[in-house]
Amino acid sequence: MLRTGFLVSLVAAGISLASTAHAQQKTVYMPAILELSGPGAVSGTNFRDGMLMAIDEINKAGGILGHKIETPVLDTQSDAGTSRAQLQKVLDNKPYVVFGPVYSGSVLVDMLMTQKAEIPEIVGGEAAAITQKNNPYVFRTSFGQQFSMPKIANYIRDSIKAKSVALIWVNNDFGKGGRDNFTKEMKDRGIKVVADISTESGQADFSADVVKIKGANADAVFVYLNEEESARFLKEAKKQGIKAPLIGETTLLGQKVIDLAGGAADGVQGHVGLTVDAPIKAVQDFAAKFKARYNYVCDHNGIKGYTAVYFAKYVTEKVGKFDSKAFAAKAHGLTITPKEEPGILMEAMWDKNGDIDRESFLGEVVNGKQKIVKILPMLSKK
Amino acid sequence: MNRFGLLTVAVAAVAAIVLPFLLKPFGIYLISMWVVLTIAAIGLNLTLGYAGQVSMAQGAFVGIGAYAVALLTAAGWPFFPAFVIAGLLCFAIGWLLGYPALRVQHHYLAFVTLAFNTLVFLVLRNEEWLTNGTYGIAGTERPHLFGLSTDGARAFYFFCLGMLVLLAAATWWMLRSPWGRAFVALRENPIRALSLGLDTRRYTLMAFALGSTLGGLAGGLYAPLVQFIEPNSFSLNMSFNLLLMVIVGGSGRFFGPFVGALIAVLLPEWMRIAEGYYLIIYAMLVMILMVFCPTGVLGLVEKLFKPKKPPAAAAAPTLKAEATSR
Repeated sequence: MLRTGFLVSLVAAGISLASTAHAQQKTVYMPAILELSGPGAVSGTNFRDGMLMAIDEINKAGGILGHKIETPVLDTQSDAGTSRAQLQKVLDNKPYVVFGPVYSGSVLVDMLMTQKAEIPEIVGGEAAAITQKNNPYVFRTSFGQQFSMPKIANYIRDSIKAKSVALIWVNNDFGKGGRDNFTKEMKDRGIKVVADISTESGQADFSADVVKIKGANADAVFVYLNEEESARFLKEAKKQGIKAPLIGETTLLGQKVIDLAGGAADGVQGHVGLTVDAPIKAVQDFAAKFKARYNYVCDHNGIKGYTAVYFAKYVTEKVGKFDSKAFAAKAHGLTITPKEEPGILMEAMWDKNGDIDRESFLGEVVNGKQKIVKILPMLSKK
Repeated sequence: MNRFGLLTVAVAAVAAIVLPFLLKPFGIYLISMWVVLTIAAIGLNLTLGYAGQVSMAQGAFVGIGAYAVALLTAAGWPFFPAFVIAGLLCFAIGWLLGYPALRVQHHYLAFVTLAFNTLVFLVLRNEEWLTNGTYGIAGTERPHLFGLSTDGARAFYFFCLGMLVLLAAATWWMLRSPWGRAFVALRENPIRALSLGLDTRRYTLMAFALGSTLGGLAGGLYAPLVQFIEPNSFSLNMSFNLLLMVIVGGSGRFFGPFVGALIAVLLPEWMRIAEGYYLIIYAMLVMILMVFCPTGVLGLVEKLFKPKKPPAAAAAPTLKAEATSR
């Protein structure tokens, strides 16, 4: 009886100690709204895994200003309406900063609400419109299409020396935004778009589209599709023997596409905004850590998620307190170097609109691996 | 409706009024979404549950209504005229969609309506000059009612709830009128209905038109609720979801859409505690529900609570009796 009583007391004391320790542990609420199911799941899960890795590292090192990061991850089902509902849920709990979403359509609806609530939102979306609405609370983690498309256009003009180009794109907010920016850049450079082919999200059969592209007889083919569709297109292009160089922007040269396409991705070239194959030690170390933890090769969305957290950490430490409005004010015009914050991986600058500027790369796929052939300087350092 | 039914409705009505004062904005948003989707599901229940015309295009009508209100209010129209136009537009398009139903039935009709839904999706996405295409339309303003703004979450919920009460009351009245009985006759035995002098052609078209109107009006509330619409929101998924609401709640039962929408809106949210597995669990629960109560939740409730009748009284119910008991 005595022994039982002792044991009960011990357990009770243990519970009491644990709860005291828990109560003493200060946290900062920084939720994430991401595409964990539906067509955006590949992008969303990469972003989530990169983000959670950074959070674990920061929490193990003591957190931000002594507060551990608390980040529940809510699934948008790749749907803007669901994303809006989930954002409302987290806004009810007064977050300090919100991470995500990756899909531009979801970002466009969510950013109206975070602006109203005056909460910074660090997003993975790339549509040009996101940072063209004078919203002081939205920050990118990768290039917007208005910055990446001029780079790819210069590449097509200067390196490929193409006079005509065939364009294939996915008809969603991501693809349409890219298509509109790309055709404008082509026009500005006097390059003729001889085929402009719209495809469906989730499309499985690209044989008819590839026939059209072959018939267009362009000097180059620009492919702007989501991951799985890119791989399916590349397989069909190889099957039908397209001879013109296949050019892409980040996604087409991503490891996920290369893995899905098998050997069909070899020879693909283009501009890469973010890549784990960048010839930068910090990025390669991150990629190795990511691979060891999750057992798959991270794509550019994983880097977005990882650097988003370190961006939030750095800005907060500069502000010196958890003040969402002060965060937004401080982050505009801020440059972060890896020397100041190693987790940022590459020097990055956020302008007055929340657009990011950093080095980017020209690459190609060789023997099932992405190979970086040239580093392009930051736009602000040209 | 028996005493138990009346008590349930009274409790639900009190809950609908009290809940917004107990919930945070997210909870209010969810019950507002329930109200809006219930209106659309009532429309589908009219077409499918009462008149027996299979429609897989209700999501498209929600989309047409949402875009009509979003575009007209963005062009400077006040909300209410835009809302009425959305309803009238869906009435006209729904009437036209009813014509194929005069020639084909069941799964053939399902495919016709399914194709119509895809057509609407393509128009919303590709006619960028009108709909802004894949970029969608953001920031549809919420209406003012008697000079009062409904911009707040709670105010807009009560506005939507008021609309639901009005539209549900109108539907209730209609189902108890000769029209309602004509719809049921159309479902049960169209040849006998025709032989009794019923203009089945007119009632078939009317079943589609009225159901579609309710879909359009729900869309007219969806746009200012979410304040962002895009073509993907009104793809086949929305139509399947509305169909699920009607079937799970109890097709052909007046309160079926209320219960079905509650399950379809709230169950996935409750299941989120299962994190990565929540959609799998939700899908399994729906499958189990359909296996064990194919007549929907209300069918199950009826089975559990209805006193068992002696065999002599179990004669086939008359058309009138059935129409009034639902």
